[in-house]
Amino acid sequence: MTSTMQGTLFDLEGALRDRLRPEPVEAGAVRRIAQGALRRLEQLERIRDEFVVDASARGVVAVRRGRRAEAAGAAARRNAERGREELHEYLDGRRAFFEVPIDLTRLAPFQRRVLEGAMQVPFGETTSYSVLATRIGCAGAARAVGTALGHNPVPFIVPCHRVLRGDRTLGGYAFGLPMKTDLLALERSTPVLEGCTSTKILCRVGCSALARARPDRHVAFASIEDARSVGYRPCRVCRPDAA
Amino acid sequence: MVPRDEDTDRALMLRLQRSGDERALTRLVLRHSGRMLAVAARLLGSRADAEDAVQRTFFRLHTHARDYRPEWMVTTWLYRILTNACIDELRRRRARPEEPLPAAAPAGRAAAGLEVRLDLERALAKVPTEARALLVLRYVEGLSYGELARVRGISVNTVKSQLARGKEILKAVLTERPRTMKGERG
Repeated sequence: MTSTMQGTLFDLEGALRDRLRPEPVEAGAVRRIAQGALRRLEQLERIRDEFVVDASARGVVAVRRGRRAEAAGAAARRNAERGREELHEYLDGRRAFFEVPIDLTRLAPFQRRVLEGAMQVPFGETTSYSVLATRIGCAGAARAVGTALGHNPVPFIVPCHRVLRGDRTLGGYAFGLPMKTDLLALERSTPVLEGCTSTKILCRVGCSALARARPDRHVAFASIEDARSVGYRPCRVCRPDAA
Repeated sequence: MVPRDEDTDRALMLRLQRSGDERALTRLVLRHSGRMLAVAARLLGSRADAEDAVQRTFFRLHTHARDYRPEWMVTTWLYRILTNACIDELRRRRARPEEPLPAAAPAGRAAAGLEVRLDLERALAKVPTEARALLVLRYVEGLSYGELARVRGISVNTVKSQLARGKEILKAVLTERPRTMKGERG
């Protein structure tokens, strides 16, 4: 031990080069990677094609299958249009948070609480029905929480797909489990914090300032401190430091 | 042997971009996934997470093929997407601190080599993310300062200072006398 430790002491460069040397890769891994890369998230294309966004002047009230309904009033139309744009960016892997307001005022108080609780589950992460029940002050009501989520009128934007069973199996989903799986896969392959290499500004993915930068100028960061340490500063529009 | 024109990385990438050519993507995976797995494993500390990150990298290369610009060397572009994927994974882990730290290296090494290797991996885990990514890309893949700067979107001077800082931390951790088996976090 001591002699090898001495070696690393005297020659860090050599040790790094030697000990970080790539190891042979198992053939199965390469095959799995190729299959994963070619995987199509087909369910997501269906969301884009089949779902429409309804809104009131207060915010989005529904994301549903069917024909688009004419929104009543300019504010409602703006909200519906903005909701649709954000949803498409999200499905495209270019948005990690929603800014459009959501209007849950038409719902019963318990369902509203459940959905507001679901909105606290961060992008790309999951929780369980029972943890969510406890978090909204209804410990033991996992089943009722599941039912309320199953009737989520604003799917995707209110992320009921991030709630799983306690044993990490998928549980249910109103639009079928393949869609739930694809949404979770999409969120895991979309970074959340990205900076622009020319402006050196750090944004939440989906910020309009970042969207204006050429896509090949986006770099991901693990935290605001990491970004700061190499000369990036947080955006004043999307405020990743306040999120 | 010089690869034929239609087989160069850039030609494959352009085919993927123009027509979503799946054979072109598969060839890129065959050619590059080994080196990318090595980088991801050193950054994330686990084979399974590394495979997952490389898979997500090629998936995104496929779905976001239109983001590629021909002035990029394909390998540099791949490392950009790969480090983005790994660093986002590290961000998620930080949000869930109960997750285990980088696990042990694979078995089957000579005991002394394995010990130093584990020391090095443990020490690497203490280097801040940005410097760690640069160290790994430099020593696993031998990227130049210029390439590192392009991959991470920082200046060459920042690359140099980050590498120096990372090595200082490594040296400090590796020369620390191991007092007890636990007490890793001071």
